[in-house]
Amino acid sequence: MEAVAEALRPVGARRAAFPHAGLIWTLVRTDFKARYHGTLGGFVWALLKPVCMFVVLMGVFSFLFASKPEYKLNLIVGLFLWDFFGEGTKSGLMSLHARGFLLSKARIPSWILVVTAISNAMITLGVFSLVIVAFLLVTGHAPTGEALVAFAMYCAALTAMVIGFSLAASVLFLRYRDLNQVWEVVLQAGFFLAPIIYPLEILPERFHFYLYLWPPTPIIEFSRSVLVRGVMPTTTGHVYLALDAISCLVAGIFIFWRLSPRAAEYL
Amino acid sequence: MPLIEVDKVSKAFRIPSVHRQTIREHLLGVLEPRRFQSLQVLDGVSMEIRRGETVGIMGRNGSGKSTLLKVICGIFLPDQGRVSTRAAITPILELGVGWNPDLDAVDNVLLIGSVMGLSLQQIRRSMNEILAFAELERFANLKLMHYSSGMSARLGYAVAFQAVREVLVLDEIFAVGDVGFRERCEERYRQLKSLGHTVIVVSHDPRIISTFCDRAVLLDGGHIVMDGVSADVADRYVSMLTHQSGSGQSGSG
Repeated sequence: MEAVAEALRPVGARRAAFPHAGLIWTLVRTDFKARYHGTLGGFVWALLKPVCMFVVLMGVFSFLFASKPEYKLNLIVGLFLWDFFGEGTKSGLMSLHARGFLLSKARIPSWILVVTAISNAMITLGVFSLVIVAFLLVTGHAPTGEALVAFAMYCAALTAMVIGFSLAASVLFLRYRDLNQVWEVVLQAGFFLAPIIYPLEILPERFHFYLYLWPPTPIIEFSRSVLVRGVMPTTTGHVYLALDAISCLVAGIFIFWRLSPRAAEYL
Repeated sequence: MPLIEVDKVSKAFRIPSVHRQTIREHLLGVLEPRRFQSLQVLDGVSMEIRRGETVGIMGRNGSGKSTLLKVICGIFLPDQGRVSTRAAITPILELGVGWNPDLDAVDNVLLIGSVMGLSLQQIRRSMNEILAFAELERFANLKLMHYSSGMSARLGYAVAFQAVREVLVLDEIFAVGDVGFRERCEERYRQLKSLGHTVIVVSHDPRIISTFCDRAVLLDGGHIVMDGVSADVADRYVSMLTHQSGSGQSGSG
């Protein structure tokens, strides 16, 4: 009898406190490997895109905004944060579609497929954060510990927004197969809507409120404020940012919770 | 207490008169409302599967076999009714399609194995066995995009046969590979059965159902029309087909 019980014991019975840790790790690792051909060179190659963008934009716009000595620092902060936002949302949007073959195989919590799809963008953001800090040190803007903590919080808020968007968009994409094209257009317009290549001050004050409605704007502006100018934003600003991030995440979770149980039927 | 209990499960798919899959199509079609037709795939299906049983599911195309299997595995949600499972299920559904073409066999096995609920340690331990079962040791580091459809299907079966938890669910098993591979699959199947695993097999083939299953159910039009000894059900299925032959094609299931 015991032999039968032993045979019937699930092979995968080693259920740890977090049973999907192996799956998450494999998804993150294989995603990285597939994207960068499994080499560090491939990863560095992928970093070249935003770096080239930075060099070109700096070359062109430094002339335009020559009166602002911090222009380069502002540009690099804005550009790298934007790169994370763009890459993260694009991979998140396609995640369920791209990994749909796993969804139709077995019953797994599908949010794992979405959230791990952002891991690559998060790794890049981590590397870029180090680049930003190094850049600040070289240019004599050594950030205080307080500023670094605030910047880490802004990155966390941006990640929450990207996850919220990805959760909603990944299930919606299965129903609306041109959502990725629409998002590309939004991202293109959003790049100019967020004050990345221009300082926010060149726009009349009355428009600032509207720009702040676009989620990357407060993240970029606040990050610049603490890292470049060394000024901590107001509490009201922080409350607004927290509410913004939380509502993006909650809305995403809600849409995903409603639509994902039937996602396999739309593959 | 049964291991799997399917209680009055119904599932319908809404088939629109016009398929609209994009935002553009929805916007342009806003003035032309669509009609929806309901396709009842499962209609009040109830069955029980006990521990250690091998159950076959038969039926023509469109009879609801695959949908029932997906509902049992928890991949589809039933519209009505309830499925209770008291065991971990390893489904072998649509294998061979569904790999990451940019990854090699080893990484794909790790991916699919962890989806099926194995720990990475267990998969690594059985990696050689899996590759040997599929006769793909030499191609372990080849990306799946360079695999033939037969090779990737063999790999799929090899993973799933190693990854079996309590219940094994097989969709159109033994339809893959050459005689040698099929024999190995059958051998492994017998081994799992003798170890007391519960198995659910979907097949069109009366020989497979009567050879490999103790019991079978026959589905037709979303209903279970027969539930009994597998050989009897297979006979009834064959006579149903001969009776129906000439009455045209049915839809896809």
